[in-house]
Amino acid sequence: MTNETSQRTGSARHRVVVTGMGIASPLGVDEKTVWKNLIEGRTGIGPIRAIDTSALKVHNGAEVPEGLAEARLKSMGRRPSDRALDLAVVSAQDALLDSKLISQEQELVPQDVSVIYGTGVGSAESHYKSMQAMFEKGPQRARPTAVPRCMYNAISAGISLQFKLTGANYMVVSACTSATNAIGTAYRMVRDGYAQTVLTGGSDGFFDPFFYPVWNNIGVLSKIEDPIKACRPFAADREGTILGEGAGTLILETLESALSRGVPIRGEVLGYGESSDATHLTNPSSEGQAKAMRMALNEAGVSPQDIGHINAHGTATHGNDACESKSIRSVFGDAADDVPVVANKSYFGHTLGASGALECISAFLALEHGISPPNLNIENPDPECRIHMVGSKPVSIDSRPVMKNSFGFGGGNGVLVLGPSN
Amino acid sequence: MSDTAKEEKIIGQLRRILEESSTTEPDWDNFGRNSTIESLGLDSLTILDLLYDIEEEIGVHLEAKEVLNITTLGELVDLLIKNGA
Repeated sequence: MTNETSQRTGSARHRVVVTGMGIASPLGVDEKTVWKNLIEGRTGIGPIRAIDTSALKVHNGAEVPEGLAEARLKSMGRRPSDRALDLAVVSAQDALLDSKLISQEQELVPQDVSVIYGTGVGSAESHYKSMQAMFEKGPQRARPTAVPRCMYNAISAGISLQFKLTGANYMVVSACTSATNAIGTAYRMVRDGYAQTVLTGGSDGFFDPFFYPVWNNIGVLSKIEDPIKACRPFAADREGTILGEGAGTLILETLESALSRGVPIRGEVLGYGESSDATHLTNPSSEGQAKAMRMALNEAGVSPQDIGHINAHGTATHGNDACESKSIRSVFGDAADDVPVVANKSYFGHTLGASGALECISAFLALEHGISPPNLNIENPDPECRIHMVGSKPVSIDSRPVMKNSFGFGGGNGVLVLGPSN
Repeated sequence: MSDTAKEEKIIGQLRRILEESSTTEPDWDNFGRNSTIESLGLDSLTILDLLYDIEEEIGVHLEAKEVLNITTLGELVDLLIKNGA
């Protein structure tokens, strides 16, 4: 890889391709297992193990299967430190290996790769442990490294340090839109010539005795006891979302760089749109969402009729799904009758700032395989959500672009248009 | 307590601390006086956490500047004994 800074002109426009993907999720920590679970309709949601939920209203969550991330960290000579960082590092290693930027056989050398990563909550575990120590022992006994451990950018810095990546290194923090905003930002950096290669994605890990109970009390989690049925995006009988932990990492680089390195191309980012509702801190606005969708379509140079399927934000809360389907209808018009919509949160749970990355990877895998995973728990589609949901069986999809939506508390909207590898 | 017993006790305490707090996987099979600070995954930042834990567990306060030039676990043990451990 070149280290020449002469390419950083900011004036060139490049095609932006994906050459690596890595995933650490409730469905597994390797792409093959994740895809198998998606296509066979197996959810990652189950009773929460990490904390005692007996006093809480909701007991389900989507956790990375026990021991998988820990084993991967050990193979890197690391021990668990902070869940969000740990999951990010595991998925980043796979993405870098996939893109052939690193190999198991060769020692790591510094590389001019930027790290632009998303998180909603950041270093939640470090925050909780630091606060716990401070309350138990007093402020004078706060652990000295709480400062760097609790930084939001401890995640991007940790990836940069672990893999010797010397480009830009910062986080994008916008609640549930974080990863999609990060990928969009990375896409623009590569497209406009400010970076040749960017490692991007998102991570969140927050099953601790503070964060999870708080979410119990905000009233958006599904109280359905059966974990398999708990998360029901766009169903008439949906009752709320289920939280999940995970990380997804993608390597974006210029087409020229990928071709010169001779590495397989996994997909392409075609367009990105973003907006702010500016209406309410937590209630979404279909105007804001539609604005981001139109911007992404416009940037990709495609019309709604060109979109092969939509990977929805689909949180399974009543208000969010109703709003998103209204936004899709307003942008797609009658075409919304035919564009299949898939929602992955019934598998991964709502992984907040990681969700956009996990769902982008799912979308790219769907394009590669020509199959959309089924929607779980969609036996009774909500007639008020006037969109065309993929049913409870996988369906064939063509290679037309995918629209990936992410919307977050705070009113931030991010939409990506993703294409196949050709 | 003999000097050897005292040393062994401190090395055991340091091992327990590091097992709890280290972010890397030290070579536990060869853990002892000759272990280098670097091989224990400690740097100028994470050694601050070790000093914090030493004060909690062993009751000896060391300043960061006192451990700057330490390269082995044995040197740290000697410093702790010198400071009343």
